Amino acid sequence: MSIVKTITPAPPMEAEFASSRYRMIMAARFTVGGFAREWGHCHLLANYLARYVSANEGDPERHATLLSTFINELLEVIFRNHAVEGQIELIFRRRGRHVILQITLPVTEQNRVFYRMAVQIVNQPDLKSWYRARLEDPADGEDTMLGLLELAAVYACSLTISEPPGQDRLSLFLELPEVDDMGEV
Amino acid sequence: MPVALNMRLTGNEEQEVTLTGTLRPFVADEMASVRSSLEQAARTTRGTLCVNLKRLKYMNNVAFLELNRFVRWVAHTRPGLRVKFVISSVIPWAVRKFQVIAELYPFVTIEVYDKAFYPIQQVIEDDDFMNVLRTQQKIIWEHEREKLAWHGLRPGLRIADICCGLGDFAILLQSDFRPEYLIGVDHSKPFLRYAWQLVSDFGLENIEYQYGDAAALLLPDNSFDFVSCRLSLQVFHEPDHIVNELYRICRPGGRIYLTNEMMSGVTGYPNEEVIRHGYIRFLELCRRVGMDLDIGLKTRTILHEVGLEDIKICLLGITNMNTAPHDFARVVESWLRTAKQMAATANAEPELYEDVSAGLTAHIEAITRDNGFAMWPIFAGSGRKPFRIS
Repeated sequence: MSIVKTITPAPPMEAEFASSRYRMIMAARFTVGGFAREWGHCHLLANYLARYVSANEGDPERHATLLSTFINELLEVIFRNHAVEGQIELIFRRRGRHVILQITLPVTEQNRVFYRMAVQIVNQPDLKSWYRARLEDPADGEDTMLGLLELAAVYACSLTISEPPGQDRLSLFLELPEVDDMGEV
Repeated sequence: MPVALNMRLTGNEEQEVTLTGTLRPFVADEMASVRSSLEQAARTTRGTLCVNLKRLKYMNNVAFLELNRFVRWVAHTRPGLRVKFVISSVIPWAVRKFQVIAELYPFVTIEVYDKAFYPIQQVIEDDDFMNVLRTQQKIIWEHEREKLAWHGLRPGLRIADICCGLGDFAILLQSDFRPEYLIGVDHSKPFLRYAWQLVSDFGLENIEYQYGDAAALLLPDNSFDFVSCRLSLQVFHEPDHIVNELYRICRPGGRIYLTNEMMSGVTGYPNEEVIRHGYIRFLELCRRVGMDLDIGLKTRTILHEVGLEDIKICLLGITNMNTAPHDFARVVESWLRTAKQMAATANAEPELYEDVSAGLTAHIEAITRDNGFAMWPIFAGSGRKPFRIS
């Protein structure tokens, strides 16, 4: 799997992200085929990207350990739900103490339905109660989504989706919670 | 999924299963051995099953859900058994994650073990004490810098400074020893913030700081040329755990460097008897809160027992004649304030603190008096990690 890193913003930028409130951190691009060849890529990539994003923090290692947890959970979901060909793009931006991760990936219709449902569930009111109920009485087939739900219910991440019309791609935006320079939420 | 699994019986009523490393499986089936060990331990435990996760650095939701399933299995199969997840505040994701399970199941508790491991942390994070630590560092450095080369420190090394405090040592090393890379680890966030600001102000890029537990470091094995731990072993209940970690992260051929105080050797004149008695009583007080400030004499034994060779020991003999008396006196004044706080923490009888106060006050008088003499012995020791374990 090869990764291309870009330090400058990768066009086209969402209008909102062009605002000066957002600061580009890094972008990475890789093929679905290379990524999906091995489950271990999620772990390796999450750690690598988290370390890069955390480079200037007071405690970069601890900050990276926390970010890796979030990035890995998202990558694991992507690993299980993507179209067979195309490229995956990740863009990390910063707004104050928040890191926002945009991931754009090729999807099938089935994948699209999955992500729409995930975003819908994550944004429901009283998510915490819903998440606890799933832990107490897990239903079949929900496990692959629970990772994302945990990010929202336990760590207060937010998840949104953007679907450009007429494309077999979609973007997920994971806004990570405010994390201080020591890696504390 | 490079996870290490360890089980041990910690008493008739208690068993412990330890998971360390990374637990990010693709499917729950990959955790079969972990699950089976947990169930086996649960079947044979009468009181509390401890699941020790304090050095589990990464865990995904698949693994977490499997642990959740195990807890539900306990609820149905072993009613009455208590489950305790032991986690560390150093792992940033852990407390929130497991708090949810503890809230769901009344028989599950969470223990953030390193909260209890650092008994005097709040005392030493006080602003005044931080200033005194800087003064103390300045005093010691003048005596220590000339000994460090003898202990094997030279330019270009990868250094880990464990229990780095305010990070002054890292900065001071830059001019004389120009490390290739230095990481300082401490369990105090205020200290680390100060240290990080210092590094930013100096524009140093070869220094990093990490919030960490000295007894369960997240640094890799065999990865540093020089591992230092200065005036810190003495404040821990179980210094052996820390020394084992220093050994683990030191590369074969690298050196471990310790400095330790010997408070029973602190003396001065006049009033030498009052001073000696005061420090003996101070040691007694320190032991009540789990600190051994007389560990200096044991430095050689500590280095030997962990398996080091080529052991070197020297004395940093700080006196009021080779150190600015005003600075020296400030340090002892801070000990006096700390002793008062410790006496309150330990609920010590008033006579104990009175003896300490009399002794340390007499020491300050000896330090500042024109013709007085006062000393503060610190042992600096180092040893080399062998290439082969004998």
